[in-house]
Amino acid sequence: MRGPLIRGNGWKWLLCAPALTVLLLAASGPLLIVLVYSFLSPGNMGGVVWEFSTEGWFRVFFRRDIFEPDLVTLNHAHLTVFWRSIWLSFQTTLICALLGFPTAWFIATRPPNTRTVWLFLITIPFWTNLLIRTFAIQEVIRNNGTINTVLLRLGVIDSPIQMMFTDFAVLLGMAYVFLPLMVLPLYAAMDKMDFRLVEAGYDLYASRLMVLWHVILPQVKPGFIAGSILVFIPAIGAYVTPRVLGGGRTMMLGNLIALQFGQGRNWPLGAALAMLMLIVVVGALIVYLRALGRMEGERRG
Amino acid sequence: MDATDKGEIHIAGVNKVFGQGASAFHALTGIDLTIATGEFFTLLGPSGCGKTTLLRVIAGFEQPTSGSLRINGAEMAGLGPNRRPVNTVFQSYALFPHMTVAQNIGFGLKMLGKSRSEIEATTSDMLRLVRMEALAERRPSEISGGQQQRVALARALAPRPRVLLLDEPLSALDLKLRKEMQSELKRLQTETGITFVFVTHDQEEALTMSDRIAVMSAGRILQLGAPTDIYNAPVNRFVADFIGETNFLVLPVAQTGGAVARLTLPGGNCAEARLPEGMTPVTGTTVTAVIRPEQAAIVAPETGDLTARVESAVFFGTDTHLHLTLADGQPFVLRRQNRPDQQPPEPGAMLGLSLASGALRVLED
Repeated sequence: MRGPLIRGNGWKWLLCAPALTVLLLAASGPLLIVLVYSFLSPGNMGGVVWEFSTEGWFRVFFRRDIFEPDLVTLNHAHLTVFWRSIWLSFQTTLICALLGFPTAWFIATRPPNTRTVWLFLITIPFWTNLLIRTFAIQEVIRNNGTINTVLLRLGVIDSPIQMMFTDFAVLLGMAYVFLPLMVLPLYAAMDKMDFRLVEAGYDLYASRLMVLWHVILPQVKPGFIAGSILVFIPAIGAYVTPRVLGGGRTMMLGNLIALQFGQGRNWPLGAALAMLMLIVVVGALIVYLRALGRMEGERRG
Repeated sequence: MDATDKGEIHIAGVNKVFGQGASAFHALTGIDLTIATGEFFTLLGPSGCGKTTLLRVIAGFEQPTSGSLRINGAEMAGLGPNRRPVNTVFQSYALFPHMTVAQNIGFGLKMLGKSRSEIEATTSDMLRLVRMEALAERRPSEISGGQQQRVALARALAPRPRVLLLDEPLSALDLKLRKEMQSELKRLQTETGITFVFVTHDQEEALTMSDRIAVMSAGRILQLGAPTDIYNAPVNRFVADFIGETNFLVLPVAQTGGAVARLTLPGGNCAEARLPEGMTPVTGTTVTAVIRPEQAAIVAPETGDLTARVESAVFFGTDTHLHLTLADGQPFVLRRQNRPDQQPPEPGAMLGLSLASGALRVLED
């Protein structure tokens, strides 16, 4: 059956050639360049020298003593940044899920004609430049910003609370920026959900919590998966938010990579870091999806 | 034991109003109803008559605006669906798509905190009851509509509710499957002894399955009684029209006396018609009388109560519907059982009709 069909359409795939070319050049091309750069030597004024070297990858994890090049120690600075990026992104995803679920539920349970308005309100922040939104957060949490001023005036605190340039600031900023990315897929999943199943759950003696756990959550799981991926991936590579709210002290992977391509003048190291980030994200995704698959298996069993 | 303890469900003065002010919609008005233990009770009416709302009030999905509802003697006000000894078979079945057939059936028991062994035992009992043992590990999306229907039934019966509510459960099935499920439902009800409250808009379904029927329209119960009572003695025009087929004849009153009146039929003959209780029409006025299409027989012209001209004949398999015109122009439908040696009358032929005694009834206006 399939033979003649394929033969008959043998050349038709060529119609996809423009799209394939763009994909190849725009997506795989730069990635390939980065991969190649990570195995070259750094140039003195930035850029790369065409000379094979694993020094870039080596320096991701280790550092050499300035005076004794053979004295190798773990590069704690890089590992800290790695760990912080993963941990902050994980927390951001969790916060977005916890805040996003009730928000999406609220929207999905409104009458259909008002739902559009709520969705519209959720998407409004997307219309504003990310930088401006981040500076707005800064305005709220800086030492002489809104929160501290109000608390000082009320006499709740004597000296301003240091919120800027902490992990908290980065977390707050990222949760704020990425929340819509969790709400929208969750809403889409809830919109498709059959609310009569909720009634069926209540009818069969389930309490509200049990209905949430046994009926609603399994139904909106695809929304959670999509939302988590949409939040976690950009969070781990976030640049603007940690730069503005975290300063130099709470650097994340994105900032570290940018630093290597800028002041650091070590492009191979930057390229190796970028490749590693890709590996971390793909790895995290595989672990996440596997875990979900296992949960599903247990449910079935 | 006082009288109220004998019934399973007691509904007294229940009203349900959706919305407020000018846009308020009265879904239920003054519902009084007692459903006996082990009864197959049907709420029958056209869509929008409030039958599903009444079912949802019993289930606990809607709280009545006023009135009281008691199940097995206990007041249900303020109790959610999860705290009532009632289970529902939903029109859409509402099976949990992420669970297997067996998990669906066991869900209610699991939520009641039953032990794993008890859940397994009851689930396999239920699977046997609805003949679904072979498909226990399938997902709802992997079985047919009729099978889903049976799983929904088993799921609702598994926790042994005192009352089973069925919201038009057969409406999505094709005719043959529906007939099968009708007898299946009746069998389950007899075997389990659970009180069934069945909602349908299909009068035939209601007549064949129910012990008692409540005919509803516009949020009220119009008539409550056994299927034969409702079919033979409809209280008003709506019930007469909704249940089965009926001929409505406008006839002058010739004479009244007690529970019957003599009406003048088209063509001049007189016939006795039963009167509804408390109605004494004035001689000379006209009343509306009803007669079912199968309660008149064909006789030789000029020998029966009525003379009619055949307009058309429609073949229905078991019987033929003859569309007739009476002497004064009123239409009359006659249903005659088919026999192989009989030919249907040709259009234009004149027939005599003899009315079965007691078949003609006067309706209240």
